[in-house]
Amino acid sequence: MLLLLCPSRENLGGKVRAEIMKKKRKFTLALFHCQNIAGSSERERQDMEREYDGSLRLFPLPCSGRLEPLHLMKALEEFADAAYVIACPVSGCRYHEGSARARKRVGRTAEILAEIGLEKDRVGIVEADRVDAESLAVLAGELLAKLDRLGPSPVFGRDSKERPDRGEKTGSNPRSAARNRRGLKAGQDMVAEMYRLEQR
Amino acid sequence: MITGEQKPIEEIRGMVEPYKRILVLGCNSCVAECAAGGEKETGMLASALRMAAKMAGKESVIQERTLDRQCVKEFIIRIDDIVDQYDAILSLACGAGVQAVGDMYPEVPVIPALNTEFLGETKEQGYWVENCLGCGDCMLHQFGGVCPLARCSKQLMNGPCGGSKGGVCEVRPDLPCAWQEIIDRLEHFGELERLEKIVPPKNWSKKNSSGPRRIVREDQKR
Repeated sequence: MLLLLCPSRENLGGKVRAEIMKKKRKFTLALFHCQNIAGSSERERQDMEREYDGSLRLFPLPCSGRLEPLHLMKALEEFADAAYVIACPVSGCRYHEGSARARKRVGRTAEILAEIGLEKDRVGIVEADRVDAESLAVLAGELLAKLDRLGPSPVFGRDSKERPDRGEKTGSNPRSAARNRRGLKAGQDMVAEMYRLEQR
Repeated sequence: MITGEQKPIEEIRGMVEPYKRILVLGCNSCVAECAAGGEKETGMLASALRMAAKMAGKESVIQERTLDRQCVKEFIIRIDDIVDQYDAILSLACGAGVQAVGDMYPEVPVIPALNTEFLGETKEQGYWVENCLGCGDCMLHQFGGVCPLARCSKQLMNGPCGGSKGGVCEVRPDLPCAWQEIIDRLEHFGELERLEKIVPPKNWSKKNSSGPRRIVREDQKR
């Protein structure tokens, strides 16, 4: 009873997820996150992506300091309506400077977006609580609920068919299936590009 | 190294406006070190231009490529097989690179995406300073390895102005006094007597005289 009256953060995340799913979202969030955050194992990542049905694409990073502005730009250019980072608290970064660096890089990306006339809010960074067992899932849900007001990115025009990656359930429609495969490839190419640049 | 800074995107968009097919060409040498024109910056600029074009409903093809150097023909030739596909090249190299590419492909307009700044040193990550003017007549040994031309606000060659306080320049409080550093270093080496010699006015003809400076090395030629 008490739980029903005062929902825990975990329950709140579940509620947000359920509401989002009800709305049949048309919004795609590319979410880069530090792998040191609780709830960010590969299995959990796959479960979340499946649960959000294409509205959420997760990109795990060994540390948020690994993030480059180019990653956010590529996501926004190729498939995402918004690209965010979930980092550890600045004082709790395992590698000391990772979260602080990520914050600066997100700021740089926002400046570039402003220069081309895209809303700054389409990129951002959120600090997670590393001790919260449901950190990633809750924050992802909260972010999606909050960013929904931004609406579809003008980069893809009014017609969502332009977007390569919607991640919709494809059913038996071969056209949808082909589009979804292209979308997945765009995401995979982006990850490959990220790690190729890392070598330089 | 040669430092540069990217021009505002609005200015770049204005310059490339007449062209439909654009090659954004990065340079992985000096301007990569100062985070202005390397592979990452080239990718970001190309991505920003593509997004801006899409939002403006403009049909355009913007692709990117990065060369190891844009100021050496042996590297530039690597775009030989693709250069015909473009109406213009947007170069993220220094001015030398932009002109070298233009010399190589005179039929294609080459547009600078950077403002070339100065000969710089990377003091720390994200912080570059000019400490060499490339005067063509180096006298660093006279000044304990600190160049008064590049690092003194008044470019004094024969001792300090007397205006510095606590080792800080009176013109720019964020700048250490170059002459304080010169004296400290020569004192450390026990060579303060070097400063007794009067240094004549700088011969600027070795930097700016009749047209571009050249270096010719017969032993290096083919």
